[in-house]
Amino acid sequence: MIRLDDVGWTYPHAGAPSLHGLDLQVRPGEFVVLCGASGSGKSTALRLMNGLVPHFHEEGTLTGTVTVDGADTRTARLDELGACTGTVMQHPRRQFFADTAPEEIAFAMENLGLPPDGIRARVADTLADLAGAVPIAQSLQRLSGGQQQQVAIAAATAHRPGIVLLDEPSANLSADAVDRLAATLARLKRDGVTVVVAEHRLRYLEDLADRIIVMRDGTVDTEWSAEAFRAVTDTDLAREGLRGHVSTAALSPLPATGASVAAPSPPDRLPAGALELEGIRCRLGGRTVIDLDRVVFPAGGVTAIRGANGAGKSTLARIVTGLQRSAGTVRLDGRPLSRRARQRASAIVMQDVQRQLFTDTVAAEIGLAGTDAPGTTGTTGPADTRAVLEALDLGHLAERHPLSLSGGQQQRLVVAAVRAAGRRVVVFDEPSSGVDRRHLRSVSDQIRRVAAGGAVVLLISHDEDLLALTADQGLTLTPPGATARRPGGGHAGDEVPR
Amino acid sequence: MRPGRAGTGPTGGAAAGHHGAATAVRTVPRAPGAGPPGLDPRTKIVLVVVCSAAVMGSGGLRFVPAVLVLGTALAVWERSWGRAAGLPLAAAAMWLLGWVVPSWWPHPVTAAMAIACAYLIRFAAAIGVGMHLVATTSPTRLAAGLRAWRVPRPVSVTLAVMLRFFPVVAAESASVLDAMRLRGLVGARALIRHPVRSVERFTVPMIAASLRATEDLSASAILRGLGSPRTPTAMDPPRFGPPDLVLAAAVAVLAAGALWLPGPLA
Repeated sequence: MIRLDDVGWTYPHAGAPSLHGLDLQVRPGEFVVLCGASGSGKSTALRLMNGLVPHFHEEGTLTGTVTVDGADTRTARLDELGACTGTVMQHPRRQFFADTAPEEIAFAMENLGLPPDGIRARVADTLADLAGAVPIAQSLQRLSGGQQQQVAIAAATAHRPGIVLLDEPSANLSADAVDRLAATLARLKRDGVTVVVAEHRLRYLEDLADRIIVMRDGTVDTEWSAEAFRAVTDTDLAREGLRGHVSTAALSPLPATGASVAAPSPPDRLPAGALELEGIRCRLGGRTVIDLDRVVFPAGGVTAIRGANGAGKSTLARIVTGLQRSAGTVRLDGRPLSRRARQRASAIVMQDVQRQLFTDTVAAEIGLAGTDAPGTTGTTGPADTRAVLEALDLGHLAERHPLSLSGGQQQRLVVAAVRAAGRRVVVFDEPSSGVDRRHLRSVSDQIRRVAAGGAVVLLISHDEDLLALTADQGLTLTPPGATARRPGGGHAGDEVPR
Repeated sequence: MRPGRAGTGPTGGAAAGHHGAATAVRTVPRAPGAGPPGLDPRTKIVLVVVCSAAVMGSGGLRFVPAVLVLGTALAVWERSWGRAAGLPLAAAAMWLLGWVVPSWWPHPVTAAMAIACAYLIRFAAAIGVGMHLVATTSPTRLAAGLRAWRVPRPVSVTLAVMLRFFPVVAAESASVLDAMRLRGLVGARALIRHPVRSVERFTVPMIAASLRATEDLSASAILRGLGSPRTPTAMDPPRFGPPDLVLAAAVAVLAAGALWLPGPLA
């Protein structure tokens, strides 16, 4: 039983409260979905239920009361709350404490002081359930996103908590991994576990949810029963900034040949300004990671790079941008480019954009990028900087510190820097992870604009909605040496690095 | 760097079966990170301390070949082929530069090189053994080992968290360096012209990204009882076993050899 009574919460140093006047009760065994736009407070509401709010943010302000299984979260210890709740965070990869599934699953039980025999028995049972989906002896960091999700859920539930909380569990999953997630959640529900999911994508939960709660500006806005939700159309969802069905985007395949290509067909023509890869082969850790005979990425268009984890997507991006050595030739405008020349001609917009903000103001960031542009004499005038910032709606933030911006603003700033630096090849790596529908459109616009500027744009993403909105064609990679895949990709579990 | 165990299928079903035949169904497949028949984490800690003390002490060069042999053997044991080849190669290079070249060509430069190599080769030997500990001991195994020694909880939890934190920082640092390379911010010229600014441009995003990455880690670990007042247990309580005995015998033989055979680095 979870009870939130008139709860308000303000994060430390935040100007406005993240939650206010929030009343919510979750009955034992109930399956509740919290949804709403980014910043509506659904993740914060989850953190109220496991006690991370207020315990993990010392100087924040909590009003009202939160009780979980009868315990007031304000006075209970975090490990006591952790014993009756299991939490799966948005990036399971970041929450793993151990290196392997057995140790990760045992972790909570060890810390709770369960007897070793009991722990071994439960870990063995849990692994037996997981065995079909996850290679158990593999290092956790090398599993696919879907497999990591499965391990994280197993690790969060092995100590048999009555309540399981999941924060955007489908955010980084491909369509088939979402099906597996739904099956796992169904099993939890069958076992009588109370489940609360904060989520953008809703349709996969349609048959599981007892209630769907739409949050807006830190409080409950609308509440749908399961029946009422089934009557809501995807158009209505879109109006709320929510995402409905997750279907695989239909993209025309980019002609390419090589063992890494899922559906090879030879590229024939060579359009102007295109990026041409020939005989690209790269071995890492004794394994061929990528093997491409020939592929041509056109300029001015967006090419989606798809494939399961371990198929070589990030290695391809690193080769194209000159960060990774490989055999073979990369040509731009028909001229071969050295690894160094590729570094000078290309950019990556990373999933964690904080890693690529180097200066202390937004304007300085653009100025720095301008000094790096090919063919400039060294400096970008203030007028140029302003124009670039205005174009991406960042003008009013020129004097702010980049690390003080929101995630979306940081991403726009990195895109602005890429444009100021005049890069010809731009890779976007999972740019939409955890983005609601309204922001999805703006992320897509950013990418389209970079392509419209004449760049060769590669988009690595599992987000079918983003791909459908943004990509012109797709290249599906497969681990070389593992041919004869089921069409549509099959389970990610079949395609991990060996 | 961490090969899966031979005979372990990709689905893990085979992993369970691998053990299942010999022991009860309730056997948990062993982690690949534990290395082939694993040493007790306490043995590894003692080994690292003893080896470091031996090579770093006065007259430590006498023990360097023995510790290098040990480090290489451990690398072979855990099937880390890169280290098994790299460690002896690095040591051989240092021996050439620090001993062979100076004897052919006595000169102040080679003399300085000899002094530097005499220290570096000790570090290489100690690090070689230390890397076995880091590569094959998971944070939870290390904590269990330290608990068995009744090390105070703040120390054992801190060390376990540090062991978990290293790879996060390493991964974030590599990503920040990649991003800097693509912006033309890496290179000798930038570093010489603006040394402070170059370092700042690396450290600020690296720390910001590492903190963000570790926030989830610590929140999840605390929720799952890490550092709580309860008394933790271990799924596989650390026990000294035959591998530890083999190692002790090997260390005794190598130590005897180092003491009584003529040292090539003396």
